[in-house]
Amino acid sequence: MIHLKDINKTYRGAQPLHVLKGINLDIEEGEFVSIMGASGSGKSTLLNILGILDNYDSGEYFLGDTLIKDLSETRAAEYRNHMIGFIFQSFNLIGFKTAVENVELPLFYQGVGRKKRHQLAMEYLERLGLLPWAEHYPNEMSGGQKQRVAIARALITQPRLILADEPTGALDSKTSVEVMQLLKKLNEEEHKTIVVVTHESGVANETNKIVHITDGLIGKIEENLDHHASPFGINGVMK
Amino acid sequence: MRDIITEIWSTAKRNKLRTALTGFAVAWGIFMLIFLLGAGNGLINATEQNSGKFLSNSMVVYGGRTSKPYKGLKEGRSIALNNRDMKTTDESFRANVDKMGASIQQNGVNISVGDNYISTTLSGVYPNEQQINKIEMLHGRYVNDIDNSNSRKVLVLSEDQAKELMPGHIEDLIGRYVDVGPFGFRIVGIYKADQSGQNTNAYSAFNTVRTIYNRGDSTDEISFSFHGLKTEQDNEAFEKRYKAKLNTNHSAAPDDGESIWLWNRFTQSLQMATGTSVIRTALWVIGLFTLLSGIVGVSNIMLITVKERTREFGIRKAIGASPWSILRLIIIESIIITTLFGYIGMLLGIAANEYMDATIGHMKVDSGVFTATMFVNPTVGLDVCINATLVMIIAGTVAGLIPARKAAKIRPIEALRAE
Repeated sequence: MIHLKDINKTYRGAQPLHVLKGINLDIEEGEFVSIMGASGSGKSTLLNILGILDNYDSGEYFLGDTLIKDLSETRAAEYRNHMIGFIFQSFNLIGFKTAVENVELPLFYQGVGRKKRHQLAMEYLERLGLLPWAEHYPNEMSGGQKQRVAIARALITQPRLILADEPTGALDSKTSVEVMQLLKKLNEEEHKTIVVVTHESGVANETNKIVHITDGLIGKIEENLDHHASPFGINGVMK
Repeated sequence: MRDIITEIWSTAKRNKLRTALTGFAVAWGIFMLIFLLGAGNGLINATEQNSGKFLSNSMVVYGGRTSKPYKGLKEGRSIALNNRDMKTTDESFRANVDKMGASIQQNGVNISVGDNYISTTLSGVYPNEQQINKIEMLHGRYVNDIDNSNSRKVLVLSEDQAKELMPGHIEDLIGRYVDVGPFGFRIVGIYKADQSGQNTNAYSAFNTVRTIYNRGDSTDEISFSFHGLKTEQDNEAFEKRYKAKLNTNHSAAPDDGESIWLWNRFTQSLQMATGTSVIRTALWVIGLFTLLSGIVGVSNIMLITVKERTREFGIRKAIGASPWSILRLIIIESIIITTLFGYIGMLLGIAANEYMDATIGHMKVDSGVFTATMFVNPTVGLDVCINATLVMIIAGTVAGLIPARKAAKIRPIEALRAE
């Protein structure tokens, strides 16, 4: 599903910053993976590259069978739209659009008709238990609800890959658990490939595989099927 | 498209005051454009109405003074037109001259009916004078060919003169004999006075006046209508040939430009048309420059809007909006704002023109001697409205272009990073 080979990325500036120093990583279809690392370790840059939001300098990145390299902006947008669903820390919903309009948006950019779009969006909101909130604006909803709207938006295009950037970062512990349970369920029941970037071990512990990244290099890769990787592991608090 | 409109409506709604202020600048620009063009049209129409008094394809010929010695004769001789010139005009220029006429003026002629009398200039004319100077008859008829060939003592008065001679029922004058100096003339027609006050002559037949006042074979003017001279070059060539021919009649140098004067109404109206288009262009330029400040305003506001919406555009791009779709969104937003408020300005401009038409459009400037309308129909046509619409669409695109490019260039990671 994801095949990274010797990915290098340097931020140019007065002081060039070599952020990724040869990342090699394979993630198979249907895996539930977390990428863990301290801030500055390069995990966000890696996520941006995975999400085709940023370019890399050298190496190869295959998403499915497609080589993602030196794409035009339009091409990148198209791939993001069709292949990747994003979940962000700060939800990134559009404030002047209702929940259902936010969920519809990726389909709008696919050129799906108004009615079809609305119907699909309502279906996804229903699955996430947000039907009563469909016509509400983001600032009328709680953090957990907002994140579920964002998840509905990420799912609506039926992407092969879900990228979550600190999905619980702005949520309290109870809601964090709920969101992680939701992602877990998506992985188990729909076999979605999910990559979560986090610096919280509790969150990482919910995933099946933990990729540690330190200083721009992949460190340890833990299999975590029984979820006891962290001191907060079994029945513990997430954060 | 409906989706885009919905999007734009929702953003415009959020910044009502800002949108309104931006719109005002555009509305003002278009208002000025329409109003200026309307007022300009009023002035142009008024001028055209005044100059429309003459048949445009006509010329009037006067004698002048020679400017160079020729054939042993010195310069400064005054040239008087005569029968030979009339004959030359009629016979040698058949290819272009339609109808030849001439006129001769006698000043200080007293015309009286009973106790009422007027003093005027008596013009002896050919019938073509009526067409060339567009004389409109109120009662009776104008001078005709039989009057001329029989040297009949006929008289055509202006409306004002008729009123002086017979207050009340001027039409009763037709057929009456009046005293013109020591002679009895029969009034055959009364013509409508024009507002310019230039035309206050009494008319009679050319041969009658020339004979009575002992003018020999001379004439004051030769006038004729012409055809087949389409361009300015044609006219110039004709004038040159014509002058040369007449100069030869009077032993003046064929290339003497001052011995014979020509008043060519056709080239005059061509020049007027050029002048008119210069005025129109100038008004467009002024209007467009006024509009320019509005456009800069729209562009400026759109830039701020884009800055404010950086994050939103970042989100849109992250979930699959192409740069083109963002570009299009901003440009269409700019066009909609510009045209919407532009139309408001256009409607106000048209309303202002209509108001002007209803008030000073009917006001006449009365100088005592003549009256003139300053503005005639000071309004703009549909063509101007269509052009203004095009201008607004282009202006909107131009105004939106820079902000739109900026929006399209937003990188999603940078936009999303802003917390």
